[in-house]
Amino acid sequence: MLSVENLVKQYGELVAVDDVSFEAAEGAVFGLLGPNGAGKSTAINCISGLLQPTSGRVTVAGYNVQKEPRQAKRSLGVVPQELALYEDLPAVDNLRYWGRAYGLRGSELETRVTEVLGTIGLGDRAKDLPKTFSGGMKRRLNFGCGIVHRPPVMLLDEPTVGVDPQSRERLFELVEAERAKGTCIVYTTHYMQEAERLCDSVAIIDHGKMIARGSVAELRAQLGARDVLQLNGRFPAGPSKEAVGALAAQNGLDIEIISQEESSLTLTLSSASQHLPAVFQAISNAGGKVSETSLRSPNLETLFLLLTGKELRE
Amino acid sequence: MEFFWASIRKDLARWRQDFTAVLLWLSIPLIIGGLITSLVDGNGGAKPRGVLLIADLDDTFLSGFVAGAYSQGELGELISVEKTTVEAGTESINAGEASGFLIIPEGFTDALLDSKPVTLTLKTNPAQTILPGIIRNVTDVLLDAGFYINQIFGDEIDQMIDTEPGGQSNDVKVASIAVAIQKKIDAAAPLLFPPAIEITIADPPEDGPSVSIALLFLPGIILMAVMFSSNGLAGDYWAERENGTLRRLVYAPGQLSGFLAGKALAAGAIIALIGAITLVIGFVYHDLAWAKLPPSLAWITASGVALFAWFGALQMLASTQRAANLMTAMLLFPLLMAGGSFFPLAALPDWIAAIGRRTPNGFMVDRLTEELTAAGAWTIDPQSWLIILLMAVSGLGICAWRLQTGFARS
Ligand SMILES: Nc1ncnc2c1ncn2[C@@H]1O[C@H](COP(=O)(O)OP(=O)(O)O)[C@@H](O)[C@H]1O
Ligand SMILES: [Mg+2]
Repeated sequence: MLSVENLVKQYGELVAVDDVSFEAAEGAVFGLLGPNGAGKSTAINCISGLLQPTSGRVTVAGYNVQKEPRQAKRSLGVVPQELALYEDLPAVDNLRYWGRAYGLRGSELETRVTEVLGTIGLGDRAKDLPKTFSGGMKRRLNFGCGIVHRPPVMLLDEPTVGVDPQSRERLFELVEAERAKGTCIVYTTHYMQEAERLCDSVAIIDHGKMIARGSVAELRAQLGARDVLQLNGRFPAGPSKEAVGALAAQNGLDIEIISQEESSLTLTLSSASQHLPAVFQAISNAGGKVSETSLRSPNLETLFLLLTGKELRE
Repeated sequence: MEFFWASIRKDLARWRQDFTAVLLWLSIPLIIGGLITSLVDGNGGAKPRGVLLIADLDDTFLSGFVAGAYSQGELGELISVEKTTVEAGTESINAGEASGFLIIPEGFTDALLDSKPVTLTLKTNPAQTILPGIIRNVTDVLLDAGFYINQIFGDEIDQMIDTEPGGQSNDVKVASIAVAIQKKIDAAAPLLFPPAIEITIADPPEDGPSVSIALLFLPGIILMAVMFSSNGLAGDYWAERENGTLRRLVYAPGQLSGFLAGKALAAGAIIALIGAITLVIGFVYHDLAWAKLPPSLAWITASGVALFAWFGALQMLASTQRAANLMTAMLLFPLLMAGGSFFPLAALPDWIAAIGRRTPNGFMVDRLTEELTAAGAWTIDPQSWLIILLMAVSGLGICAWRLQTGFARS
């Protein structure tokens, strides 16, 4: 339904989106996962037509966004990261207005607007002004404005940023309901749990580059069954590295250093809890000292750590 | 087409929520017109004089500067400033004994220097109209000035605050700061200070035209209202950008023209409302032929749309909302002055009037004067209508271009 080929967007020297390609299918949620500044919004804005890409091709429902913008835009529903509402226009009129912008008319429009009001749970507040709404209600109306015209493809840019847990759950349900109707959804986030909960497939981007892509299960498999072991303390650079290397050689351990600094050391290894004593021993022998330990089972967050050597959220 | 109508309805519904703005624009010609008419036609009549009460809780040199600004120059003849306390001031304003009451909060200077938001509380007397309006406008201008003064003199002001009182070496420091400030003021003065507005009452020329002097003021006053309202209405582009709805517009397929035309027509409807009310009052007062009402109203509305289109274009060419407002505000007064809104074009020296007639609003005033003073109706020639049309189309064209080239992005 949506295909992005070799998308590049440059701001002067800065390459905000660097050769990104992916395909998103109908009835599925495609996650664009990456830290702040990774280039997610820039990519979304190139797809929605808000930005002109430096190069690359975007097709929505078979239409080229640059060459046939009208047809492509008709198939797109966008829910921007920041609220985009007329706060001084009743909720129902917000929906009507954007419905008309996409060519809905008359009774078809009214039926659809009533339906959307029900979906987003604002049926009883239809005539009220959004400026009297809570943050969560505004978010839902913002979502509603993006789906009035029944778009086959939806772009959601970090829709849950700054939303309380309860409203967040409602938004998840809205996204899942759209997926069940067969909508193709692109969902950007920097929350790992959201991607794991909602997305059928995921692309991880960092500094504008796509560094991994696949279903959540495939990405987990890429990480293997290895845990991530994070140690704080004191780790002499050379000896620690040698000690870990020796550990792998002697015990046949599947162990690898992801990142190493003087006061922290991040490793991956399988069945980490079993091998903790051996690891501590090796570090101690190398003249190091462990003062704090944290162990994490494999997930997308640790995959990001593995791929980039840094945390998804700093 | 459907979206065009929807856009008009949308904007009119939104302006209804902000109806006080519309009333304010309407009050400009009514008050000024009433005032001038009573001065020119009546038996003189004294200038209004109002009292502005100020409770200065901050009590620093900057807050003192703010308080002093209200009583400078021509303004001092209209407004006298009295210092008071919060309690006494609240009581007086509630009793309707003053035109306005301004509270400068404690920490005002610090907040201004740190560019933090600070609230000046201004209560105005609802029973009076013009003086509270003037006080409000002066307050707005002062706040903008405060922002820019801080951008320019931030360092010097900081040094001044850091300078401890007493101590001989400090005198040297203060002197050097003063010199630095003076240098900057000298360099920036022509840019910073809008031309002072002198309030002068023109004496009727002895061998003047046969039409009443007050009637000569009417077109200029109406255009003043049109200028203020079209400028205010054009600020809506920034409002729509801030609330993100312009982005949604770009997401939608090919609806820019319907949106822009709808906004222009909604603005036209509001300007027509203001124009109709002022015209009807003017027609009744001056006993004009009603056949001239339709062409006059059409001319005012079309002129308003053209001005709206260009104010919108200027707003969208500016890089920030603040810059946009400052730019249009600084443009507004010279244009009003040259374009016959303060004095009738006929009362200006010929060469100034010739320039005035070449300003967009002066041109509009001139044709409206012709319409109102000529023997027949529909005296405005097709060429003039065409000029207005071209102005509207070119202004809207720039708006459309800006919407497509990034204005919608925040
Ligand atoms: N208009 C712009 N001009 C220059 N650089 C920009 C602009 N917009 C975004 N960037 C830069 O592009 C990069 C990607 O930004 P963005 O797409 O907003 O990231 P994300 O949405 O993943 O947080 C950032 O480094 C950002 O600073
Ligand atoms: Mg973003």
